[in-house]
Amino acid sequence: MSMINVKVVAIEQVTPLVKHFTFVKEDGSSLPAFSGGSHVVVSLDIGGRIHRNPYSLMGSPMENEAYHISVRKQENSRGGSVFMHENVTVGMPLKITYPVNLFSLAKKGRKHILIAGGIGITPFMSQIADLNRMNANYELHYAYRSPEHGAFAAQLKEKCGDHLHCYIDSQGQRLDLQALLNDQPLGTHVYVCGPNAMVLATLDTARNLGWPENHIHSEQFLSPPTGEPFKIQLARSNIEIQVSAEMSMLEAIEAAGVEADYLCRGGVCGRCELDVLETDGALEHNDHFLTDTEKASCKKIMPCVSRAKGERLVLDL
Amino acid sequence: MEHGYTIKSKPIYGALAWHDKATVHLVIAQSQGGLAVLKLFEQMQPKQPVRVLYAQQDTDYAKTLKKVVPEGLDVLNSEQELLDVLKSIMPTMRMGLRIYIAGSEGFIWSVAEAVKAFGVENADLMKEQTDTLARTIYCVHCKAITHNITTNIGKCSGCGRMLFVRDHFSRQMGAYMGLMIDAESPGELPAIEEIYP
Repeated sequence: MSMINVKVVAIEQVTPLVKHFTFVKEDGSSLPAFSGGSHVVVSLDIGGRIHRNPYSLMGSPMENEAYHISVRKQENSRGGSVFMHENVTVGMPLKITYPVNLFSLAKKGRKHILIAGGIGITPFMSQIADLNRMNANYELHYAYRSPEHGAFAAQLKEKCGDHLHCYIDSQGQRLDLQALLNDQPLGTHVYVCGPNAMVLATLDTARNLGWPENHIHSEQFLSPPTGEPFKIQLARSNIEIQVSAEMSMLEAIEAAGVEADYLCRGGVCGRCELDVLETDGALEHNDHFLTDTEKASCKKIMPCVSRAKGERLVLDL
Repeated sequence: MEHGYTIKSKPIYGALAWHDKATVHLVIAQSQGGLAVLKLFEQMQPKQPVRVLYAQQDTDYAKTLKKVVPEGLDVLNSEQELLDVLKSIMPTMRMGLRIYIAGSEGFIWSVAEAVKAFGVENADLMKEQTDTLARTIYCVHCKAITHNITTNIGKCSGCGRMLFVRDHFSRQMGAYMGLMIDAESPGELPAIEEIYP
């Protein structure tokens, strides 16, 4: 996959857990244009092992001199976010992918309701730039733990004005999804990004109120979960690979030198989907891409986040 | 036509079935589409409020519909009258509205066009085709729309060209692409046959 060489030009501690990074192209030229909601995958060489983490672009899509991402330090990090926080310094070169948008605004929407939880605010930052430019009808509902965790709340207030509604958990403020989605005009679209429980609650509430599926949008990058080590066979490459407890199947495939497709690396986009030729044990599907029927059929797997139990798993790669 | 050939843009219509989740159901039908509405009410009487707009034509299910649909039924005398009523009630509708349409393809897309103005997208609509396979065609030469074409080749209502009726369908215009059949050899027309009765 072709990558862009960038260097870090600024790092800012935004909240106790969130750092904001600014990248420019290493050769000083402009970065590719992108649309609101896009993300890039940042490639990190951590002790010889390549970590690739997706992060939403937060800057205005109108500006292509620099890219902005924010990284939350994950408590159960496999190393990527901790490395970003502790080892990445100003001036350091990094490799990133071209931007991909899996969370774009519905252009036909009459009204847009954006719901963010914590670091889930990031994809909305670039969308807000688009919405403001289009003079669109929108509301941003931003929920976070406590005042010091409200990354970008002040900046958002300035950009969004009355469109912004904040819910600070430590002050007992709660977002009432039912009340919010209960009485919206036709042509409204809802977008959610945040913790799993918030995403599921939003999807459930909208569906229960009879919102058509194409008016409901969510994005939730998963980190590859750890688990028991297991073995896979790649039929076309004719090799056997050990997937360690800490590694994802995709990372193990890449570490073995086999080229595999990917885009989001977070179980969302479907690009890394592999056909399962044989399996003797249960597949642990962790993605948001395959349907329940496809998951149950054991014919396909998303190696970026899913794992396997059992002795034998043969993939068409 | 080649076996197994499909064109993605050709709409495939199903049979109406209630959505489980809704705040209001709006059922819109014409002529034989009344039967599709009766079948829908055979499935169940939904617990949410229902509004039915029915334009009676040659085939008339109005009498039976009046028995089956206890409240919220409007029987109209033409498609135009129905569209006028539809446009008058749409401003009161909110998210949670589910729309069901049964009628000819021309009718389905007239309704789709009418509700689009209120923010309802094509993908939100459940559709069942009844009555006829007649096609609306869009002339790629003069951009005129011609309704009720039942043959493989139809005359453009705008420029008079003889147009080959393709399967290529535009949801934006609610019409199939029509292109001049005898552009290269003027006047030489293949047999004109009814294939969309």
